[in-house]
Parts: sequence; C-alpha cells; structure tokens
Amino acid sequence: EVSVSELGLGYESDETVLFRYCSGTCEATVRSYDLSLKSMRSRRKIRKEKIRARPCCRPLAYDDDVSFLDAYNRYHTVNELSAKECGCV
Amino acid sequence: TFLPNRALLSLPGADEMLRSLAGPPPVPPVPVDCVRATELCAADAGCSSRYRTLRQCLAGRDRNTLLANRECQLALGVLQESPLERCRCKRGMKKELQCLQIYWSIHLGLAEGEEFYEASPYEPVTSRLSDIFRLASIFSGMDPATTSKSNHCLDAAKACNLNDNCKRLRSGYISTCSRELSAAEPCSRRKCHKALRQFFDRVPGEFTFRLLFCSCKDPACAERRRQTIVPSCSYEDKEKPNCLDLRGACRADHLCRSRLADFHTNCQATFQSLTNCPGDNFQACLGSYAGLIGFDITPNYVDASTTSITISPWCSCKGSGNMEEECEKFLRDFTENPCLRNAIQAFGNGTDVNLAPKIPNPAATVLPKAEKSPVLPDDVNDSNTAYDTSVISTCTSLQEQGLKPNQSKEQSLCYSQAQLTTDVMPDQKTFTDPKAGSSRQRESRILLLIPILIPVLGL
Repeated sequence: EVSVSELGLGYESDETVLFRYCSGTCEATVRSYDLSLKSMRSRRKIRKEKIRARPCCRPLAYDDDVSFLDAYNRYHTVNELSAKECGCV
Repeated sequence: TFLPNRALLSLPGADEMLRSLAGPPPVPPVPVDCVRATELCAADAGCSSRYRTLRQCLAGRDRNTLLANRECQLALGVLQESPLERCRCKRGMKKELQCLQIYWSIHLGLAEGEEFYEASPYEPVTSRLSDIFRLASIFSGMDPATTSKSNHCLDAAKACNLNDNCKRLRSGYISTCSRELSAAEPCSRRKCHKALRQFFDRVPGEFTFRLLFCSCKDPACAERRRQTIVPSCSYEDKEKPNCLDLRGACRADHLCRSRLADFHTNCQATFQSLTNCPGDNFQACLGSYAGLIGFDITPNYVDASTTSITISPWCSCKGSGNMEEECEKFLRDFTENPCLRNAIQAFGNGTDVNLAPKIPNPAATVLPKAEKSPVLPDDVNDSNTAYDTSVISTCTSLQEQGLKPNQSKEQSLCYSQAQLTTDVMPDQKTFTDPKAGSSRQRESRILLLIPILIPVLGL
C-alpha cells in the first residue's frame, strides 16, 4: 500500500493504491543460453554490448488500471502500475 | 394514491398464505421474480393465454380504450390471481430488464393512470445499515492510523482501491467518464452512465455507500464526495431541463422508471416514524438512491458544503407552467427530504436505528446476525484458504500477520522485509534461503514460484 504521491509519477494525491512488485532470484531457471553467454563473456568474446547473462524476475502481467482523484479534483487513470504475475525471463 | 399501494407491499405474507391454503391457483408465499412467474404462468394454459391477451391490450398506444375492452379486463382479473400479480424483481439480477418489462406490462394495466408515486417493482430490502457498519469497521480496523485523520471519503477510496472488484469497476467508470472525445464533447455520457450503473449494481454497498455517503468536516473532503460520480460527465449538462420533463423521459424507460419508483418507495419522507423513513429502513433508502445513479435522473450533491447536505438531480422547475406545484413537489423529494438526509447522516455517523423492540420482518432480525459477528474476523482471514493457490495472498497475509513462525512451509515462499530490501538490489548475485532445507519435498513446485510477489506495505 502506497500513496499515489509516493509513486513518483508526478501525481499529487493522497489516495492509497496497492502496489505489487516482483522480486526474487532466478537461479533455478538458468538456461543453456545464460550459461553460454556467461562463458563467452568470460572468454572476452563479447565485449562492448551490455548483456545480461542471468534470468531476471519481472512482471509477466500487470494488474488492471488504477484510477484516482488528485489534489486538484481531477481524475487520472494509470495502467500497468502493479504486477499481477511474475516470472523469470 | 400512494398509501394503499404501500400497505399492500408491506404485508406480502399473510393473505397470500391464506389464498394458497384455499386451493388453486397456487401462489407462492414469497414474491417470486417476474421471470420465474411467467414460467409458472406459461405452464398453466389459462394463465398463459390471459397473459398474452393482456400484453396485446397494453401493447397499443392508447391504453385506456383497450382497457375498456371486456376481454382485456377479464384477462387482468384472472392475472390478479396468478403469481404474476405479486411478482417483483431484484436489483442487478440476471434478467433484470426482462423482469421489469414483465412487471410493468401488468402493473401499468393495474394503475389508474399517471401517478405521482409508483410502487417499487423491486423486492423490499430487509438488510440494515448495521450490516454494512460491521463490515466497514473490519475494513477500517485494518488501518487504524488513517481513520484517525478523519477524511472518511479518502478512507473509502482506499478501501475500494484495495479491493480488486471495487478497484476494477471504479477505475472502469472513472476512465470512461473522464475520457475526452473532442472539444465539443467532453465525454460519452451514455457510456459513463453505463459504467456507473455497473459499479453501483455490482460492487457491494460497504464500498459504494462509503464512497457516496462519507461524512465530511472540511471542504476538500466534501468536494471529493461530490466528485465521486464524476459529475462533470455524468451529472452536469449545458442546460438544466425541467424536472417533470426529466421524469417523463425516465418513465419512458423501464429501468429508469423502476429505479425512480424504488426511490419513491424507500425514501418517501414520512412523519409517522422517528427517522422520517418508511419502515425506518435507512439502507433501503440509500440503496435506492444509489440505484438512480447512471440514469437521466442521476442525483448528486449540489455543492461541497460540509454543514448542509443538499441533493438534487440536474433539473429545475423553470418553465413548468401550471404544473409548477407538482414539479416543486417532485424536486423537494430530493432537495428537502428528511428521510434521505437522515439516512445519509446516519451512514456518515455510523449510527442506525435500534430495531430491537418491534420486528415486523423476520429477515430483519438483528439477533442471529449479531451472533454471527464473532465469526466475521475468520471470514476476513479468508486468505488462509487461498494460501496454497495464490502466492500473492500468501505473501499479503504473512506480512499482515508479521510472519508467524509456525507457518513454515508457506514462509519459504516469502521473504521478510529485511531480506527483501537487500534482494531487490538488481545486481545482488546470490540469495540463500535459510528455510530451503525444510522444504525439500516441495522444491519442485516452489522452484517455479521462487520469483515472488511481495506487496509493499505503506512504509
């Protein structure tokens, strides 16, 4: 539970919304892709690009839209604010 | 006139029972809904042919001449003995419109003509405000810190945002009602009204009433309360029509007509009771008020005043001609209605009438419900039952309970706040779960669940 102002999206509102996020490690879902990538990086075969050689916990789906009334009595609707489902991707 | 009609409504039981004892046609002791009643009628050859005749009689424009027809009168007479005559509808029921069409096809025939007040086609409301308070107090019990700050309207918005169904339908109507179409047309009023109706029909009163009737001590709160229904789209218009014209438009629509009749039945100020409400039933009045939202006759607070509550539909009595008096009377049922005002204030204060001494309606008895109340906290912890199916609720409930040590197997799915904050750091490479050993046998399942959702509490 966070107030809308705390979201840092620039809205001024005292309304409280539910914010669900994804967290956790993804050790168990390391794929051959990740292992190979890691190995190639360590052999300096890949240098310049920014790569990520481990799966990462991210939302797979987002909650429904959230609407709220701001401090100036205007309504706003924000979509894809809160996670509904997480996964290692 | 109104009173005889109401008398008929308020004692549905006794003489129906007598009649059903006396022999056919069997009339159920409780009013059945009209869709069901037509099914019962269709099973009976006599009833179904009379019903068809009556519908033909009423289908024509000129109701009065057709009703002068002997055949039609006969049909009406027979139907008065059938389950159709006493059938009612439920708000938000599956085939509500169909039910109401059946209701009015019979009752327009029974009515003397255009009446000022019409009897409600809806089943009488037997629940009480106190039922809502009990639930509301549980909700507010979850956040003692915010209730003390006492912007009840803000608390109500919070309670709604934290409930999936309420949040979904609330943002549904808000986004529809505040979506600008073009410079000339600020929003689609039709769609906005539809979304509002869905919200008020499908979300339970403990959420909708709190948003709509929250009590306010400062103007900011009162303005929030006034804004609840997004009045710029759903309420205000370029011009204020005449109230009787508005009523006429409403009565041309079965759904609107029914909601208005329901409002008149449940919020009609009476001076025979302490509360000025029929049957001292605040909940029924507030419910039928909320039932008007999303129709032509949508009512709202006229300003953000904290001291006096004034409600009105968007209409005036200008241009009423010789109907001025009737128009004023119609409008006063909103603007100067002691029943409605008392009901709103009672809801805001969290008070309800104590019904203990006289209980005419068995369904309204307070006692069995009071006994249930110690059970309610268990219901709230319903998330217990959802433990194994949903990670989200598991996390939520664990956090709320401050991670009780005896729930080890579920605990392995969630991390405490301290662990969490470190783990959130994107480049933290390793994470060791201290509980992992104890939950080996579940590992195959848990591995899939390791990416975990943890809702952040307001910190």
